[in-house]
Amino acid sequence: MKIKYIAYSLATILSLGLPSCKKFVELTPISDATSATAYSTAREAEAALIGVYDSFSQEYYIWDNVIFGDIISDNHYAGGDNSEVFAVDKLEITPTNSRLFNNWSQLYNAIAKANTVLQKIPLIKDAKLDVDNRRSQILGEASFLRAFHYYQLVKLWGGVPLVTEPAASTLPSDTNKPRATETEVYAQIIKDLEFAVINLPDTYPGGASVTKARATKGAANALLAKVYAQKQEKNYIEVLKYANAVISSPAAYQLLNNFADLFDGAHYNNAESILEVQFTGGPEANWGPQLILPPSISGDTWRKFVTPSKDLVNAFASEGDNVRKNATILFETAPWSDEYWSIAVGGSVPFAYKWKSANGWASTNRQYLLRLGDIILLKAEALNELNRPAEAKVELDKIRIRAGLLATTSVTKDALRTAILKERRLELAQEGQRWDDLKRAGRAVEVMNSLNEIDLRTNTKTNYNAVATDLILPIPQQELNRNTNLVQNPGYN
Amino acid sequence: MKRKLLLLITFLLTGSMFARAQNITVKGVIKDREGITLPGVSIKVKATTQGVLTGVNGEFAIKVPANAVLLFTYLGFKNLEESINGRTELNVTLIEENRQLSEVVVVGYGTQRKGDITGAVSVVSEKEFESRPNTQFGNIIQGKSAGVQVISPSGKPSAGISIRIRGTNSISGGSDPLYVVDGVPSSDTRSLNPSDIESISILKDASSAAIYGAQGANGVVLITTKKGKSETPKVEFSAYTGFSSVWKKLDVLNGEQYRILMTELGRNTDWTKYTANTNWQDEVFQNGNSQNYQLALSGQSNKTSYYVSGGWVQQKGAVRSSEMDRYNFKINMDQKVNKWLNMGTNIAYTRYHDVDVSDNSAVNQGGVILGVLSTPPVIGIYNTDGTFTSNPFQNWENPIAGTDGAERGYKNQRFLGNLFAEAIILPELKLRSSIGIDYSNAAYDYFLDPIRTSYGQANKGIGQYNTNLMNYWISDNTVAYNKAFGKHTVSALAGFVAQKSRWENSSIERRNFSGIAVTTPNGGAVIQSANADKSEQTNASIISRVNYDFAGKYLLTANFRSDASSIFGPGKKRGNFPSFSVGWRISEEPFLKNVNVINDLKIRAGWGIVGNDRITGSYLSKVGVGANYPIGGTVQPGSSPTSIGNDKLQWEGTEQTNIGIDLSVLNSRITFTADAYLKKTNHLLLNVPIPRSTGFDVGIQNAGSLQNKGLEFQITSRNFVNEFKWETDFNISFNRNKVTNIVGQQLFAGGVASRGDASLTQEGSPLGLFYGYVADIVDPQTGNLMYIDANGNSTFNPAASDRRVIGNPNPDFIYGFTNSFSYKNIGLNIFVQGSQGNDIFNASRIETESMQGPKNQSTAVLERWTTPGQITDIPKAVADNDNNSRISTRFVENGSYLRVKSATLSYDLPKSILSKVKMGNAKLYVTGENLFTITDYKGFDPEVNYAGGANTVQGIDFGTYPQTRNLIFGLNVSF
Repeated sequence: MKIKYIAYSLATILSLGLPSCKKFVELTPISDATSATAYSTAREAEAALIGVYDSFSQEYYIWDNVIFGDIISDNHYAGGDNSEVFAVDKLEITPTNSRLFNNWSQLYNAIAKANTVLQKIPLIKDAKLDVDNRRSQILGEASFLRAFHYYQLVKLWGGVPLVTEPAASTLPSDTNKPRATETEVYAQIIKDLEFAVINLPDTYPGGASVTKARATKGAANALLAKVYAQKQEKNYIEVLKYANAVISSPAAYQLLNNFADLFDGAHYNNAESILEVQFTGGPEANWGPQLILPPSISGDTWRKFVTPSKDLVNAFASEGDNVRKNATILFETAPWSDEYWSIAVGGSVPFAYKWKSANGWASTNRQYLLRLGDIILLKAEALNELNRPAEAKVELDKIRIRAGLLATTSVTKDALRTAILKERRLELAQEGQRWDDLKRAGRAVEVMNSLNEIDLRTNTKTNYNAVATDLILPIPQQELNRNTNLVQNPGYN
Repeated sequence: MKRKLLLLITFLLTGSMFARAQNITVKGVIKDREGITLPGVSIKVKATTQGVLTGVNGEFAIKVPANAVLLFTYLGFKNLEESINGRTELNVTLIEENRQLSEVVVVGYGTQRKGDITGAVSVVSEKEFESRPNTQFGNIIQGKSAGVQVISPSGKPSAGISIRIRGTNSISGGSDPLYVVDGVPSSDTRSLNPSDIESISILKDASSAAIYGAQGANGVVLITTKKGKSETPKVEFSAYTGFSSVWKKLDVLNGEQYRILMTELGRNTDWTKYTANTNWQDEVFQNGNSQNYQLALSGQSNKTSYYVSGGWVQQKGAVRSSEMDRYNFKINMDQKVNKWLNMGTNIAYTRYHDVDVSDNSAVNQGGVILGVLSTPPVIGIYNTDGTFTSNPFQNWENPIAGTDGAERGYKNQRFLGNLFAEAIILPELKLRSSIGIDYSNAAYDYFLDPIRTSYGQANKGIGQYNTNLMNYWISDNTVAYNKAFGKHTVSALAGFVAQKSRWENSSIERRNFSGIAVTTPNGGAVIQSANADKSEQTNASIISRVNYDFAGKYLLTANFRSDASSIFGPGKKRGNFPSFSVGWRISEEPFLKNVNVINDLKIRAGWGIVGNDRITGSYLSKVGVGANYPIGGTVQPGSSPTSIGNDKLQWEGTEQTNIGIDLSVLNSRITFTADAYLKKTNHLLLNVPIPRSTGFDVGIQNAGSLQNKGLEFQITSRNFVNEFKWETDFNISFNRNKVTNIVGQQLFAGGVASRGDASLTQEGSPLGLFYGYVADIVDPQTGNLMYIDANGNSTFNPAASDRRVIGNPNPDFIYGFTNSFSYKNIGLNIFVQGSQGNDIFNASRIETESMQGPKNQSTAVLERWTTPGQITDIPKAVADNDNNSRISTRFVENGSYLRVKSATLSYDLPKSILSKVKMGNAKLYVTGENLFTITDYKGFDPEVNYAGGANTVQGIDFGTYPQTRNLIFGLNVSF
């Protein structure tokens, strides 16, 4: 009797416990995929690629490209209330400025996603992926995107670690990559873009809302033109070649007749756009406009960021350029004091205005990643540097005339160089281009130190104390802490 | 495995054969003089080696010759001999000798007499907390037990607590102990009802916690709820009402002083528009109040014991809008089904609700506490249009917008319970099977109206509804064997445990509301987010334990637990955790037995390894969804890798060594316990920050090790025991924590006030040291705060490399000191508690003393530098510049404190009056909490941490909801 109890009981215990034990602790995540399950079909390949594009809706491409392209330069003041942005404005950037680490992290995260696509997609065995060469297109798109993000990195920091494969493990030997040289980074960018040019189409089925959203041959050519102009060993022959490839593209890029249409929020994915960040509202929306637009539009009464500088407003005025000024800057009375425009509350203060709708932190306004106006001016620059000023003038005037200005009076190469730089400023203000232009022209230090921006609180000229080492940013301190193989840029400690 | 099983069966069979050779069966129950049943009493047939132990309810059954003599022995009680004389039922009452030794202590999967325990176990019994009101579980054990640090990071009614037993053992893994409520592991202690708790056992060392192996590395807190005990039904009613307030206010600039400072910073405005004089501390800090009602019925009939209770507690916090309330119901039942089967259940249902206040953040992030300090007095609360006012220079709304701006609330309904059956197969052999569940369903509501706040206006209203469902079950199946052979007593336990947790979360947010008539998300026109996700975790374990006792003198406990966890990959899932401990009751040796002054003396030693798998994530490389992006005008699904996998990931193991001594002297009037321990955590589960150039932030690794070592002393003395009674209890704990290896990493954490990270964890140092610049003097010429660089020179522009360790949040020691006095019907209990030698990084002062923006500042800045040559500690005001307020020694303060945590004066109504109204007991009391605090700390309260129970961030004050001073009046009645 008793023995039977025991036998039964033990049998019960064992059946509850042991046999299922091994299976019981083998779980797969429910709401996440794993690297073993996420890449096996054509649709999953597309999703992995979409994940790379999603980085365009991250903070760097919404916001920091303006901080480190316009606020850092002579175009805009910091505005707002963030001491780290003030530090960028004043060229007092320290390695612990958290914006640096944010940007570094976001850009490298985008690169890691592109690397994953480039590693995983060739292994997928799904015949649908090879219909219409889609697999090579995807690889071309991922290569383009990787190049695009590396281009941001190399402009901001110079030579950075060159990571072209997903990290194999968390061991330091796999993760602690030293910095490559600036030349090596540019070489990788060019290699990726050349691959992209071969593999990408001029347009996609589905019209402009797809073609302007995805990497295309035109986008790859445009970025190649910019890269050859921006790198240390400039090659204006290549700039010209690629700019021409964009201008003559079967995608038929065209300047819009009316400059204001570019930024009115009613002409997304227009003919001038080569690549633009796609915001459609709701969860895929742009919060940036709320930070810059005046009370009448944003409904806010707090101090806004990215305040156009006196120098920028004067630059528009000196050309009599009202078309672009009105599309770029809006004056309004502000219920706060601004140290450059009005120390008294209620004074007239300019607002950055290329985004025009705030829509409660959920705007659909976009930033152009690449647009034809930029490429035409780049072509003008290339022609001028290649000692073909007459042809350069033709290109420059296309932009001026579209803006309602007269043809330039500049004739000589030197005069045209200055004219093109200024034209780019007026054309591209608030599009994150100014600091690159000044650096490329070799004039960033001189321009910053000759600014005459008066801080009304003290009635003294703001001294930017620009030096050559300000042209590239300090490697973020947190990254230096994590990766002991990194060396800080000169001028920062 | 098969071989083990065979052994077990053989073992059991031999046991049953023993039992078969007898003639009559004697059954009975053993109780003490108060009628409380005694489990674990040794019953032996005199002059043989045969014997049994009583079960949980004091019951026993033994087959003996009809003329046998039974010898009953039980630690702390007088031995007793009884002749059977043919009787088959024998109920025995044992007489107490030394209460403490015989106290039955709940240990993992069973009970043990205190005197037999060989590990380090602290017990907090009802006696120690029944005399004062407790809304929260954490209050009960704070300062009551050596080696147990209760961290209450804030004074919010909704704040949980975090407990560290013998220091922090992990960096990325969990460091809170495992809570086990009536056998069901649990994580949330907020919804436990303190009134239902009978005792708490804290298993501190490896030997005692090892039976919980996998989850026991941080210690185990066993919570046992009340059961019916007396034959006559007992009704208990308790009620209290209390008042709470912030006990300290900080001085801030008045309107005029603020205007002068702003002018100095170059900020001007039309000051005639700002003439209000609002004291934000008076507006936001209020008199909180609380009330608590609990009713319980308990009893025991022949075969049934029951405990049923219900209660309600409500608290309105000392910070405007914060509140908490909790309904709780509890049923414990135990039924003897027949002679060999016992079944029962413990069930608790709780409905918990709170309204949180946003703290631990700056006014520009909506932090209410810092808002109180940094909102200038010159503005009123509302504008004429009903919207909230803002700082004159920024749209930082006043703190009332933070407390009143959004309707919000969290509620949690929780069902915690188990069903168990115990079968007595043989008198010596018992089988127990139990199924426990912990099911909680939480919801968070939020509505920001489209009118009063600027964020609400911009978004035209925001409505959120989030749910979190947690479903946990545990199945325990154990077999226990108890047997006495002459002077040998053996008890053994073996079994299987399987557990599964499943979490289901959903959230929805809509924006664009037409008004305030509908506040649920369905009133919003735009779906901002809609999410649902699920996850789960499983563990399967084999547990075993052997206790061996020779003549009550030599004690041995051995545990072995083997755990498998779904967190780890193939081949790494299983972890094996053994432990051993021994005890020697020297007082039982002949040479001490006759020393009357010593009632008990025991030395204990133990060693063991316990494991930890509590991390978020697992060994897998995960690919997340939701990296969506619109193409062609519609949003396309996107994926992205979210973690780097680690197939080598394995259990974190903490190896612990403990030695201890228990001593009671002078008729057990004085008892003393001391323990020394060394804990080494290896294969530390660490989210190692990896270079972001990988695309990832961290990688989970078994990287490194850390150690905790310490000393604990606890002394209890009954100073006076007659009509005037005075008892003193004192405990003190010293813990030293050191990171011995984290693969050369420096882990920075604790980012505050846009100044970077203030906490550093590095090899060779304790966890979470403060790290920053060393402040020098304020330069009398420039008014700038100078810093000392790495070479010892004074500079205004220190480099990042000039930062160093500037403080240590870990205390040198913590202590608790309780004195209870009673005379006739009057009782007084005073509980003092403190922490010594810890630093606090007062980051709130960065907000209130940095003088760089439009925030109001504390009156400390009245001493600021204004003219060349001025000698002062406070630098000059510089607009929009953080250089004078870097993370530095300027903000490191001594965080030591000593406080009267509680003092209770009580009065028991005389029996003569009570008997007339047929009542058993009635007690009236008044309690003061945090009545009095001695500290040099300048902030609101030294019991503070803005990062809650984080492992590597401790002792940072950044606008944290302070602890409050409470006054409580209560009544306990029973009949």
